[in-house]
Amino acid sequence: MDKGNNIAVGEMPTITENDWVTLLKDNARTGGQPAPALPAPGKTRWQMRVGSSIRSAPVLRGETLYVTTMGGLLHAIHTDNGRQKWKFKAGGAVHSTPALSGDLVLFGCDDGKVYAVNGESGAKVWEAATDGEVWASPVVREGAAFFGSSDGYMYSVEASTGKKRWKQGLGGRIISTAYAAEKRNYVGCGDGHVHCLDAATGKILWSTLTGNGIDSSPAMVGDTLVIGSEDFFVYALDANNGAMRWKYETGLGVSSSPAVLGEVAVIGSKDGYLYALEIGTGKLRWKVRAGEVITAPPVFGDSLIYLQSWGLLALSAENGNVVWRAGLGGAVQGAPVIAGRTLYLGSNSGDVYALE
Amino acid sequence: MGMDRRTFVKRTCMGTAGLLVGNVPTLASDEVVLPKAPPIDVHEAPLSKRSTLGMPGLFPGRVVEVADARAIAGNRVSQPIVHDMLERGLKELAGEKSAEAAYAKFIDPKDVVGIKINPSGAPACCSSPELVREIIFGLRSMGVPAKNIVVYDRFGYEMDLGSYQTLLPPGIRMVGVQDGTLDASGYDANVYCQVDFFGEWETRSYMASIVANEVDKIINVPTLKDHSASGVTGCLKNVGYGTFNNVARSHQAPYSFTDPLIGVMCSVEPLRSKVVLNIMDGMRMVWHGGPLTQNQDFIYTLGVLLVSTDPVAMDTIELEAIEKKRREEGAPSVWERNPKSITTDGRAFFKDASKNLYYRQPSHIAAAGKMGLGVWDLKQIDHRKLRIS
Repeated sequence: MDKGNNIAVGEMPTITENDWVTLLKDNARTGGQPAPALPAPGKTRWQMRVGSSIRSAPVLRGETLYVTTMGGLLHAIHTDNGRQKWKFKAGGAVHSTPALSGDLVLFGCDDGKVYAVNGESGAKVWEAATDGEVWASPVVREGAAFFGSSDGYMYSVEASTGKKRWKQGLGGRIISTAYAAEKRNYVGCGDGHVHCLDAATGKILWSTLTGNGIDSSPAMVGDTLVIGSEDFFVYALDANNGAMRWKYETGLGVSSSPAVLGEVAVIGSKDGYLYALEIGTGKLRWKVRAGEVITAPPVFGDSLIYLQSWGLLALSAENGNVVWRAGLGGAVQGAPVIAGRTLYLGSNSGDVYALE
Repeated sequence: MGMDRRTFVKRTCMGTAGLLVGNVPTLASDEVVLPKAPPIDVHEAPLSKRSTLGMPGLFPGRVVEVADARAIAGNRVSQPIVHDMLERGLKELAGEKSAEAAYAKFIDPKDVVGIKINPSGAPACCSSPELVREIIFGLRSMGVPAKNIVVYDRFGYEMDLGSYQTLLPPGIRMVGVQDGTLDASGYDANVYCQVDFFGEWETRSYMASIVANEVDKIINVPTLKDHSASGVTGCLKNVGYGTFNNVARSHQAPYSFTDPLIGVMCSVEPLRSKVVLNIMDGMRMVWHGGPLTQNQDFIYTLGVLLVSTDPVAMDTIELEAIEKKRREEGAPSVWERNPKSITTDGRAFFKDASKNLYYRQPSHIAAAGKMGLGVWDLKQIDHRKLRIS
C-alpha cells in the first residue's frame, strides 16, 4: 500500500505521526485509524466562535489547530484553551481544508490563490495564483504541492516557495483533493473523469469517465483507487491503468470522500446513507441511514467511524450502528480531528469545538 | 449609493385569499379567515424607464411546456434530452428558428447575466445542474463571455449541497449571497422592503447587491414545488424571496404573509426590470413537503420544462399541476384552510401529505398578477404544450 504520507524524511522535521496534516489525517485518507474509539463526549472543553461558517476540516500540528472559514480567515488556535494564537486574512472565502508542510500551512481560496503561511507566526510566505476558486486542499509530497482549481487546471508548485512546476488542463472544475502517490497524482474532475497524472510533469497518464462530475477525493489501497461520483456510483479503479474493477450504486450523488481501513472503504451518499464496501470486490458490508444528506467524509477512529452531517455521529465500524450522536457540529464538508481523548471539529454555524 | 437616487414608495397590498376571485376557491363557512397583511414600504432604485423586457416581459401570458419521457430516468437528468427540450421551448416562446436567436431577444452579448437557481431542497430537488449547464452553453453560444455569467443564490451552503461548484463549466462565477442567517454584507442597504408582520425585531428585507448593482439581466431557474407557506415555490418566490434577505419572518405558524410580500418584492426595481426569462425545472415535482423535503415519496419525476417571460402565468400553470397531482395522491388542496390540517410537528409535515405548518398562500400568484407582473387568469394564459417523446 502506498501510504501517500507527506511526512518526508528530512523535509518536515516539525511534523509527527500524531499530527493531522491534511484532510482525513494524511494523504492515504486513513482518517486517523490508530486513534482510540472515544466514548460519547461528556463535555465541551472549549468552544470558539470564528464569525463565519466553516466548510472545511481542521488540521492539527502539536498544540495548534488550524481552521479556515468562509470569512476568509485562517485561524491558529491553542488546543489547550481554545484561544486564538493568530489569524491570517486571505483575499476571499475559504472552502479549502488546510494542509501542513514543514513549518507552512497551505490552503486554497475563492480569490483563486493558494496561500502558504508560516504556522508559528501567521506571516504569509508565498501565494500562487490560478484563474478560478481553489476549493481543493493542497497535497504535499516530495517537496511539491499539488492542487486543482475551478479554472479547470491541476497545478504543481514547489511547496517551500510556491514556484510553478507545471499546470495541466483537465476539462472541468476541480474540487476534488488529489491523492498524491510516489510518482502519480489521482484526482476527480467536474467533467466526470478520474485522471492520473505524472507527478513530475503533469502529463495525463490515463483518464476514466464516470457518468457525472466528481467532487469526491480519492483514496487508495494497494493499487485500487476508490472514489465517488455525482452519477450516484462509488468506483474502484485499477490505479495502474484506470480500468474499472467494480462500481456500486447508491441512491444519489456521492460527493463524500472515502475513508479506508484495512479492506473496507466507508463513504457517504447524498441519499443519506453511509456505505461500507469491500475494496477487493465492491461487496456491501453494511449501509446505515446516518442523516438526511451526507456530503462530508467519514473518519476512522479505531473501532468507530465519526461523521459530521447535521450533527456529529459515531458509528460502529463493524456494523454501522450508531453508538452515539451529538447535536452540534453540523457541516457540509467538515470532518473531525481526533487527538488523544479529544475531538476537534468546525461547523456551519461558525463554531470550533474541542469535545472530550 | 445615496438616498437621493432612490424613491420611496408605499405599495398597497392586494388583499388576502378571501378577497380574490378567479382561480381562487372561495372559503367554506367553517374555514379560518386569515389576518389582513399590513402595508409594505418599498425603497427602490429609480429607473429612467422600466425595461420592456422585465416582468411580465416580451410575451405576457405565454407559457411553453415541453415534455419528454426520457428526460429523467433512474432519478438522473439526461443532459442531451434537456438540451433538445430547452431549444424547442425557447424557439416556441420567441417565435424564432434557433435558440441563439431566441436568447438574443432577451440577452445582449455585452450583458452581465445572472442565473438565479433554486438549490433549496438540494440534492433531492433543486435546479438541475444539467439544465443550468445548458443555459450557460446557450448564453456562451450567443456571445456572452463566461466571466459575465454569474450563477447565484442566497445561500452558498445550499449550492454546495447541489454540487454546482463541481458540475458547472469553468470560467463562470458562482455566488452565495450570504454566509449565515445574519450575514447582511451581500445586500444593498438602500433598496429594501419594510413591514412589521408579527412584531419582528428587524422589519426590513434588503435586496442582494448582486441584483441591485452587478447583473444586467436575470434568467430565473425555479423548480416545481409545493411550499408549506406560499402554496407553491416557482418563479415569483424564487426570484423574490431569493433576492431579499430576512424573508422567513413573513410566516409564523400558522399564518403566512407570503401574499403579498412575494409579489411586492418582485415588483421592486431594479429586480423587476432585470428578470427577462423564466425557465422552470420540472424534471421533478415536489407535490408535498416543499421546499426542503428529501422524502422521495413526495417527489414525482415529471420530465417537464416550462419556458416563459411571464412569472405569474408560469406559476399559475405550476399551481394547477401541483393541485392535480395532490388530488391524484389524495392530498388536500394547497388552498386548505381547515385548522385540523395544521401541525406544529415538522416531522409530521414531512411524512403526512394531509398536514401543513401554515395556511398556505397560493393567492400570492394572483396578487402579483394584479400588481402588473403577469397574467394570473388561467383562461387568459396561452399555454402551449410540446411533447417530444
